[in-house]
Amino acid sequence: MALEQDMRTCSITGLKVHKPAENLIKANAVFAVVCMLLGGVLALAVALTRWPVTQRIIDSDLFYRALTGHALDMLIAWIIFFEMAGLYFGSAVLLNGRVAAPKIGWLAFILMAVGGLTINYEVVMGHATVMFTSYVPLQASPLYYLSVILFAVGALIVCCLFFATIVKARLDGTYTNPSLPLVTFGLACAAIIAVVTLAHGAIIYIPTLLWSLGIIQHIDPMTYRVIWWALGHPSQQINVCAMISCWYLLGTLTVGAKAENQKLARTAFVFYVLFINVASEHHLLVDPVISPAHKVWNTGYVMHLAVLSSMIHALKVPAGIEKALRRQGYNNGLFEWLKKAPWGNPSFSGLMLSLLIFGFMGGITGVIFGTEQVNLTAHNTWRITGHFHATVASGTTLAFMATTYYIVPIIFQREMVMKGLLKFQPWLFGIGMILMAGGQMLAGIYGIPRRHYDIFTFGGNPLTVAWDPTAMLFMTIFGVGAIIAILGGVIFVLTVVLSIIAGKKVA
Amino acid sequence: MGSDYKAPGTFVLAMIFLATFIAFYFMNFKYLSSLWEVR
Repeated sequence: MALEQDMRTCSITGLKVHKPAENLIKANAVFAVVCMLLGGVLALAVALTRWPVTQRIIDSDLFYRALTGHALDMLIAWIIFFEMAGLYFGSAVLLNGRVAAPKIGWLAFILMAVGGLTINYEVVMGHATVMFTSYVPLQASPLYYLSVILFAVGALIVCCLFFATIVKARLDGTYTNPSLPLVTFGLACAAIIAVVTLAHGAIIYIPTLLWSLGIIQHIDPMTYRVIWWALGHPSQQINVCAMISCWYLLGTLTVGAKAENQKLARTAFVFYVLFINVASEHHLLVDPVISPAHKVWNTGYVMHLAVLSSMIHALKVPAGIEKALRRQGYNNGLFEWLKKAPWGNPSFSGLMLSLLIFGFMGGITGVIFGTEQVNLTAHNTWRITGHFHATVASGTTLAFMATTYYIVPIIFQREMVMKGLLKFQPWLFGIGMILMAGGQMLAGIYGIPRRHYDIFTFGGNPLTVAWDPTAMLFMTIFGVGAIIAILGGVIFVLTVVLSIIAGKKVA
Repeated sequence: MGSDYKAPGTFVLAMIFLATFIAFYFMNFKYLSSLWEVR
């Protein structure tokens, strides 16, 4: 009897929702949106500083604080909190089961929340102006490193809880199908990559904490870079796996797509687990610690096995959507299904824009910039910043935004407000990000560096560079895109918060 | 029966993607060749 009291049946999906799981999803999702808000404010400061029209709007000290905070909030906090919500949804809700240990879940949430907030505090106060990579010998306060470790431990606990919840669903008999649902399978792959990633984080951040405390005297910068990138890039591969899981989920929820030939999709997910982490070596292509032969083998061959996975998914998701829409009668010609698709549904347009930007802009450039020869010209230029703003900042974020429009009614049991405005939100954010990331990549071709506060006067240094005026044109486009994208982000945060607070209760 | 499982539109989109990929790959190596001249 008590067991039934903590479950409800979702009026939209018919799934049984474990109330403790629901509360954990709510808490993680709310924190994700809060982190996105913080990261968005800092994004505005960074973008306006680098936009030629409003160049150096804040001083260099504040710029590097804003850049560090923006990267951590957007690449780590917003995404990982949302993924934690996704792990609870993919395990407890999709398997009609119960979270294995809700109290452990809350402990993990508190660790992540305290860690995340303290990271922001340390960065904003200027105690950790080390940027996202925190390369040694740049040194932050011990509290910063401790906070990162707390956050990572919290995330690691949730990953373990995810696997425990799947086992519990099996033991309780709430999910008896021999195969996991594809979405849960994808999230399981994301969780496996997360465990590997976070283990590397612990390996490098624990000695770095001891170094900042003065207990260890020296950390070799090259060793730091090699191990740190086993955290830095794979953490973004967790995002890719979670994003693709969202693509499959959204395809089903928006147009009733079915993932046919699931074996292929599952194999592609396994390829990610096996090969995606080696792709992180492309960050080390200009470093002397890895042999040239290994670099060529890795980035020329192994990386493409991971890329193959992305291509399989990027083909399967729209194919599932096309088949679903053709089944609904949109059968004329090649593209009637595309023309008549529900573009006014922000979840659908968000999904398709995510696919488009991730594939055409982020994916293609990622493979090419990860090639050793090209990397030598692209490294540390704005081309790289443009690449990951097309992948994580556009692709993953759009997929997560689109998913949120279903999470609010399903989990928060509130209807989204301002539905008319919401139709435009993915378009504003997506088009803004296309202009922004495109501007960055094109300006980067002219050598515009990343992470640089003042490329206009070089702080009065006599050794300046005369940039090609075309680069300034692309930097101007970047700024316009950034403002449009931030407007799209504001609409997202505003509508989600208002919906949770004042949205009409779902019957 | 067979037609139910076909996705010709997606196939065309995939080919456009492939062509874009090839074009971008070529452009990058062409640009690289202009920087690293073989004398």
